[in-house]
Amino acid sequence: MPIDLRERLKKANWQLIIAAPIAAGILHICATLAAPYLTAASAFSRLAPGLPVNKMEVLRDITPGAEPLPFLSPHARYAMCRFDSSAGPVSVSATLPPDPGWMLAVISPQGDNVYAAASTPGREIPIRLVLVPSENDFLGVTPEARGIARNEQPPVPIAATRGIVLVRGPDEGIAYKGKVERQLRQAACSWRPF
Amino acid sequence: MLSHSALTPIHVVLHRTQKRLSMFLALLGDWAAFIGVVLILGLGTSWYMIDIGTPLTTLRQGPWVSWTSAGRPDADPYTRAHFARLGTLQLSAEMTLTYVAFTDSEGRRLYSSCDYSVVGREPAASWWSLTVFDDRGELIANPAQRYAFTSQTIALHPDGSFLVALARDARPGNWLPTGGAGHLALVFTTVDPNTPLLTKPTKEHKPLPEIKRIQCR
Repeated sequence: MPIDLRERLKKANWQLIIAAPIAAGILHICATLAAPYLTAASAFSRLAPGLPVNKMEVLRDITPGAEPLPFLSPHARYAMCRFDSSAGPVSVSATLPPDPGWMLAVISPQGDNVYAAASTPGREIPIRLVLVPSENDFLGVTPEARGIARNEQPPVPIAATRGIVLVRGPDEGIAYKGKVERQLRQAACSWRPF
Repeated sequence: MLSHSALTPIHVVLHRTQKRLSMFLALLGDWAAFIGVVLILGLGTSWYMIDIGTPLTTLRQGPWVSWTSAGRPDADPYTRAHFARLGTLQLSAEMTLTYVAFTDSEGRRLYSSCDYSVVGREPAASWWSLTVFDDRGELIANPAQRYAFTSQTIALHPDGSFLVALARDARPGNWLPTGGAGHLALVFTTVDPNTPLLTKPTKEHKPLPEIKRIQCR
């Protein structure tokens, strides 16, 4: 080893050299975890101001200049409900027709699909959900949880305090536009009494 | 040069100050290098993994990229950060796979002044769509009001294959206008309700369309 290089290595600040990748790793983790919270325009924050709380709304056709979100495809019509179950459970109901491409998703403000269902050819899929806050003290308030019998199929309880319920009906061509919109308008989302 | 006997107290003080200053500057240089390395390594790798993705988080096939944990409650932090920054509403990758392409099959950036043909075969998924956006995710205004083809609106060849022409001017068959949008993004979405829940998409290659550049102006 040349003497000059040996001298340089001897003089190098090894504490800082070892600390650099460790500090970079910590910064990497912090930056990655903080990134979703540093963005001013997440999908939820873009959609929430334009949607009434606990009410399903069928969005207008997606056209250039009127896109509610980037990369939201115009090949479908959308019904959305901004739900907030902090004051009480929220009921959601929709029927996915037996045509391909229909979907219902319950999406948290962080973008997680806490519930998702897609249509299946050959049969309709009726969906009934009750959205309850994740705190345990709210889990016992639904009639089903209190043992009250119902004549109909009980709704599926889902723990979610805030978020968006999305029903998507695919574009099947101009001839089916009215049918898709009627089906979307049947989807409901409402506050439900204890 | 001053002889030892000529060193006055003021010279000693100056000499010491100079020595301390050079030590301080050396230390400052070390710290500046340390901070630079930490910022470049820490923020650079974070940006790369959030913006571009790695094989741990994405599925790449030719020009198509899909984030395999999109919309899933157990998504990794990079996928969460990617879609939060993008501002899109992701449907769960358990049932819907979204592939995005910013380049053609030869790796050249998609641009509206070029004509492309997107050639593929109908996928096994029950429903699919092919949409063209500009690179900010906005639709491209056009008089034909045509922005996408789906499995229900596309004209297929008898053998189940399809060809979509991406071009500024009208083309016969399946034509998606690109106007003067500049850089383009193609989004290919497949919906497959038969995918078992709680399983991540497999790394097996699916027959995704090929994007061929025909000509540029």
